[in-house]
Amino acid sequence: MILKKTHIPKLDDFLGGGMPEGSSILFSAVPGVECEAFGYQILNGIIEDGNRGFIFTNVTDPNNIIYEFKNYGWDLEKYLDEEKVFFVDGSSKFIGLPTIGKYSIDEINQTEEIILKAIEDIPNGVGIINNLSTLIDYLDEDRIVKIISEWNKKAKANNTILVYIFTKWDYKTELIQNIKNNVDAVVSLNSIEERVIIGQGFMVTNASWNHPDNKMVLFFVLQPGGIKIYVPKLLVTGPYNAGKSSFVKSISNKSISVDRMALEKFPTTIAMDIGHVDRDGFVADIFGTPGQERFDLMLDVLAKEAVGAFIMVDSSAPQTFGRAKEMINKTQSESIPKIIVANKQDLPGALAPEKIRDVMKLDDTIPIVPTIVIENNGVETALKTLLKNLYGE
Amino acid sequence: MVNKKMIPRIESGIPGFDELTSSNDGTGGIPENTATLIYGPPKTGKSIFTNQFTYKGLTNEEPCLYITTDNGYKQFKTNMDEFNWPIEKYLDYNTLYLIDTISDVSQGKPSQSESYIPSYINNPTDIMVKVGSGVNYISKNNQRFRSVIDSATTLLAYNENMLIIRVLKAYLMRIYEAGGTPIIAYTQESADSIVETMLKSMVDNIIQLDGENMYIEAMKGIGKRSSPYQIRDSGITL
Repeated sequence: MILKKTHIPKLDDFLGGGMPEGSSILFSAVPGVECEAFGYQILNGIIEDGNRGFIFTNVTDPNNIIYEFKNYGWDLEKYLDEEKVFFVDGSSKFIGLPTIGKYSIDEINQTEEIILKAIEDIPNGVGIINNLSTLIDYLDEDRIVKIISEWNKKAKANNTILVYIFTKWDYKTELIQNIKNNVDAVVSLNSIEERVIIGQGFMVTNASWNHPDNKMVLFFVLQPGGIKIYVPKLLVTGPYNAGKSSFVKSISNKSISVDRMALEKFPTTIAMDIGHVDRDGFVADIFGTPGQERFDLMLDVLAKEAVGAFIMVDSSAPQTFGRAKEMINKTQSESIPKIIVANKQDLPGALAPEKIRDVMKLDDTIPIVPTIVIENNGVETALKTLLKNLYGE
Repeated sequence: MVNKKMIPRIESGIPGFDELTSSNDGTGGIPENTATLIYGPPKTGKSIFTNQFTYKGLTNEEPCLYITTDNGYKQFKTNMDEFNWPIEKYLDYNTLYLIDTISDVSQGKPSQSESYIPSYINNPTDIMVKVGSGVNYISKNNQRFRSVIDSATTLLAYNENMLIIRVLKAYLMRIYEAGGTPIIAYTQESADSIVETMLKSMVDNIIQLDGENMYIEAMKGIGKRSSPYQIRDSGITL
């Protein structure tokens, strides 16, 4: 089996090295998540490796795609001149512009046949279909599934890789499933949201030639540069002596505490705790902030970069809840998903989670998880609860 | 005593409109965080309405995410200038976030502002990506913001109708969640009646303009209302 690299960071690892010749891959994106860059970056990389390809577009005219490539820092014009890449222009005609490219589509009904021809033209190459969703409402739902299956059959026979860009508008689940069943691999592109999109992630949910390990990787798209991945930060904050350092240590696969013993008599974190978590397909760096007010500036900075926060409270110290509320408000303004960790449940006088909700006047949207961190009790639940908040069900 | 059910209103910017739409508690204007469809035959002032609404927001320090599909940047700016609603300042302050789906940018962008974002009329996927980052950008410093699509007509003309219905649903959801107040302009009878019914069913408030009268066909918190209107040098006046 010959694998071709996708040239998307991390994706080749998840796919076991790349994509087999003749296979198909679907990038299935939640509306609002960047997905076209995946198709363009794959095309650029595979052409650079000495292959040929085409771009089918029904979303903008070819000149605009050349312009987008330029913004990414990739020279599509050169490939077009060298006849390594050609367009299947399914856009210009419909917006009243002269068509450009080797093939053009005047009527939607020709799409199936013309793309079959285009596939035949590029044995061992790659074809980008941008965008599958734009075709769906023009054609019958059954027909679209049949067309995908015909294209993929042709591509397999011709050793051509097909990359589908697909936006998950509110289609029936059955249709989406049918489409997914007809491709060799599916990459889900999701968002991390709290009021607004604060992060984008991709995950291989299926690949016929490999067993992907369902890892979610966060990414952003740079112009120039293309897709870059990053390790998200989770924040652990809360009033003084709530158990933040212990929590970071307990949750992390590895952790360090900066300047932990600087004041020997009263060990407290005066810089920060840093940990790293790698669990259930999610990788993140954990930052524990000091609880004292004089370090709030740091909380501001960290909250801006974090994708989620644990707010820790000492359940037996209601006098500190006001301070905790203040810290919630700080992360609130940055609108990141958060949960309350109600620690020290074993101490006398510790308030139960719902009592804490009452006292702190928190609405039901913020989960409260009871823990005894020093006994490693509830820590996993806290992590799972926050991850569920980040990624949904 | 504060009535918990009171819906906060935002100033429309149209003289007479907030009075026309005032509810029992005495407040008028567009109900905040609800969606409005403004429709009517061509040349009845729909764009003037949305632009007036946009400009009022900008002067009230409520940013606006504006998706223009009918007029590119230059024409949009000219239209605003005609009514003495200059926008450059707000593009510079980045409180006007303009998604331009119609200007040809392959030769360079017409505005150098950070909040001038080009997109493509028949690429709803890209438009939604830009709406997403636009919402993120402007709602960072301001939980209260406005959003305008002028107009759905052009989106429908360049794309399959059903696709645009799906896109508008996703768009409204995105704006709602972020706490914004969206308005969509649409030219009456430019798409078939099923599409028109679907558009109406997606929004909370429906305003019709016929050239002489403005009809509030539906609005959260109040019943049907109507009033004659005029288009003057300063915009629409009831």
